[in-house]
Amino acid sequence: MENPRLEMRGIVKTFGPVTALDAVDLVVGRNEVHGLLGGNGAGKTTLMNVLYGLYRPNAGEVLLDGQPASIGSPKDAIAAGVGMVHQTFLQVDNYTVTENIVLGTDVPGPLRLDLSDAKARIRELSERFGLTVDPDAVVEDLPVGVRQRVEILKALYRGAKLLILDEPTTNLTPQEVDDLFGSMRAMVDDGMSVVLITHKIRETLSVCDRMTVMRDGRRVETIERADTDAEHLAEKMVGSTTDPGAAVDAAALGAVDAEKVEEILSSVGTTTAVAVRDLVVVNDQGHELIQGFELELREGEIVGIAGVAGNGQVELAEALAGVRPLRSGSVEVSGRSMGGLATSTWLHHGVAYVPEDRHRDGILPTASITENLVLGSQRSPQVRRRGLIDWGAAKQRAVDAIAEFSVRANGPATLVGDLSGGNIQRVILARAFARQPRMLILHNPTRGLDIGSTRFVYQQVRKATAAGCAVLLISEDLDEVIALSDRVIALYQGSRAGEWQHGSVDAYAVGRSMTGLGEARV
Amino acid sequence: MSDTLTAPPSAASGPPAGPGQRPRRVVEALWLVVPYIVSVVLAFVVGGLIIAAIGRDPFAAFESVLTTSFNTRFGTIETLHKWVPVLLCAYAFAIPLATGKFNIGAEGQLLVGATGGVALGILWSDLPMVLLLPCVLVAGALSGAVWAGIAAFLMTKFQVNEILSTVVLNFISFQLIDYVASHVWPDRGAGHPATTPVGEGALLPGIGQAPPMHTGVLLTVFLVIVIAVFMRRTSTGFEMRAVGANLRAAQVHGIRTSRLAGAGLVVGGAVAGLAGAIEVAGVHGKMLEGMQSNFLILGIIVGLMARGSMLALPFIAFGIAVLEVGAGSMQRTAQVPVEMVLIIEALILLFLLLSDIARAKIRRH
Repeated sequence: MENPRLEMRGIVKTFGPVTALDAVDLVVGRNEVHGLLGGNGAGKTTLMNVLYGLYRPNAGEVLLDGQPASIGSPKDAIAAGVGMVHQTFLQVDNYTVTENIVLGTDVPGPLRLDLSDAKARIRELSERFGLTVDPDAVVEDLPVGVRQRVEILKALYRGAKLLILDEPTTNLTPQEVDDLFGSMRAMVDDGMSVVLITHKIRETLSVCDRMTVMRDGRRVETIERADTDAEHLAEKMVGSTTDPGAAVDAAALGAVDAEKVEEILSSVGTTTAVAVRDLVVVNDQGHELIQGFELELREGEIVGIAGVAGNGQVELAEALAGVRPLRSGSVEVSGRSMGGLATSTWLHHGVAYVPEDRHRDGILPTASITENLVLGSQRSPQVRRRGLIDWGAAKQRAVDAIAEFSVRANGPATLVGDLSGGNIQRVILARAFARQPRMLILHNPTRGLDIGSTRFVYQQVRKATAAGCAVLLISEDLDEVIALSDRVIALYQGSRAGEWQHGSVDAYAVGRSMTGLGEARV
Repeated sequence: MSDTLTAPPSAASGPPAGPGQRPRRVVEALWLVVPYIVSVVLAFVVGGLIIAAIGRDPFAAFESVLTTSFNTRFGTIETLHKWVPVLLCAYAFAIPLATGKFNIGAEGQLLVGATGGVALGILWSDLPMVLLLPCVLVAGALSGAVWAGIAAFLMTKFQVNEILSTVVLNFISFQLIDYVASHVWPDRGAGHPATTPVGEGALLPGIGQAPPMHTGVLLTVFLVIVIAVFMRRTSTGFEMRAVGANLRAAQVHGIRTSRLAGAGLVVGGAVAGLAGAIEVAGVHGKMLEGMQSNFLILGIIVGLMARGSMLALPFIAFGIAVLEVGAGSMQRTAQVPVEMVLIIEALILLFLLLSDIARAKIRRH
């Protein structure tokens, strides 16, 4: 390629014994949206963090506009025209959009803060690139999609010529994704370059001019949009497989279109496993975040809850797991009314919960795998002998679980806090399944997991449903929800905003309902 | 979330085979022990510099600090007698800490426990030992438990911070024993607020002669085993450790955390109360003002040094008892004030806490 905007050559980055980047090359042209495609743990974000000056590479060089660039910090990167939008935004909640964008740049005069010029500039940028934002709005009042635009404007305001977007579509509705992609095209038409970090093949195909596929810290290939298709990319990214449910997995991973998957991975029975009636749940501040929620789950059925984060998912999950008290309404599991019972009783009656925040809610980081597997059943007769916990037997079960769930650890005495995210999730699943659950609540079960662990989670879900367990899958990953679920329910402001059967899901309709624009909402 | 947080497991090496485990375990053990040794050495070096700076001989001072406990039978017995309340107050701090709660009230609980013990020891002084001694010890433990129970109740019912309530209860306990020692059962001839002696049957029998070791030491050894088994093997002990490791996760998995935290405080208070009763029945034969000595602060130091390990507590407490007993003879032989020992103890703790940071840095490469 002639005169590329960015060239990264032979970038190596190691963290202790782990090689995160193994001599990776990347070339991004001018006027190009370049997709950086790969599963979690493939090294995409690490590579871009090197470019943005957050990590120092062990080897390799970076050229911007043909000149060797020495980028030691994000400040250097910004000065060199590189902007990056991370998955989590660093914004001052009670500042306005303009204030957030200007923060950290040079503003005229130490005493007087005149933001009218800045505001005009922001207005101009947002019109030019279709990034609709009110410069005077206070950031905390804005939805995620708009806050992301603020973050992009921040980079543009600082004169970015190369913009890196790290998984920008997480938490966006399909409509917002379309808008974002429109803005990205406007940027490259204006002479910029954009790097889109994503694990979703569909996204790269719809917006990128070229893409680089990464796997296990290596570049697998770089290819023109015109020369490739979803199947080819999926094979490069995931590796080919003929396992049962491969199509579902691929769809859930965002490799192929989830709506077109006919295969289902559950085995829906006829008996009602869980009945939720008129459920009201309040958050820690006492606000009703779940209002009049109804749900019926049959044995072996997977029901997916789609929604933008913060619409009551946490409260719903915790209420159905028996962790958060029900304000009103009822929850029946296998015909038994569970309202008002202690959390341990819910566990005892077959409710298993895989929480969203694994580190905060799921594990004892300073305890061993054995101890973590005992957590929750420390009073059950299987664990105790003559009134005391039988650690010998518990250790043996831990050894078995480590083998069965392919946990990568040195042994049952390994501290769970030392494990990687995927392995922590395996320990949590091993614990949940050891109790033969009747209802399994999964909240963002594959977030941050590499492809192997994500697939493993799906396999376990399949196993659970085959054993008649009802599964409630609450996820912000719409592809995952649509591909896995027998029924998809959209959650908006604590209520149902629509329901679809597997095979007749329209992602845009779900997206509309998730944002309160659906017809199904009265 | 950064990709690096979920570094590819495939890139990491697989689980090492059997023989690989052993050197690993040795390395882990070294990581555990070395900071203690380094901290103690550094504390003595810094302490030595201070002693030299005030114009005394640090070597003479340290020799008497470190050898007094072992040179004479008297020193050994005194060390063991010191070990008992220091260790029990360390448990009183460490057991609630296992559930994430800070009990700063061990001295109050010790004094109230002593009050409970001394009350029965005086009121029922005619009872034979087989009846009276157990009554005194149980009364001590129960009184300590009730005293800590006040803080536990305020904490679980009204979310009153346990640090504040346990500290404040200490001050109330000072007034309480002052009242008991000067109005209820005062010993006018003592020249110092103290109660009259307890009955013969309330005294812990001694072992050996001149001076005898009281059997409270054996009782404490027994208690060490009971507590270790309790924390390690019982469901409640496991739950307490779970709450201390991650409160949220414990809740999510059905553990009633606030009830457990309250129970931890009460158990801690009972242990401190028992220490008070043992002091009455084994050392003083009565209750006197000031008997709490500096056991609270020593217990906290020991509890913090153990870093959550119930097994380490007895050994660390013994080391502290050695220093404490040596302090007096250091003052006599080397003219270094006894407070120097407290400085060294504090330095050990300080270096130990710093070692956590150093270790994290070294291990990250």
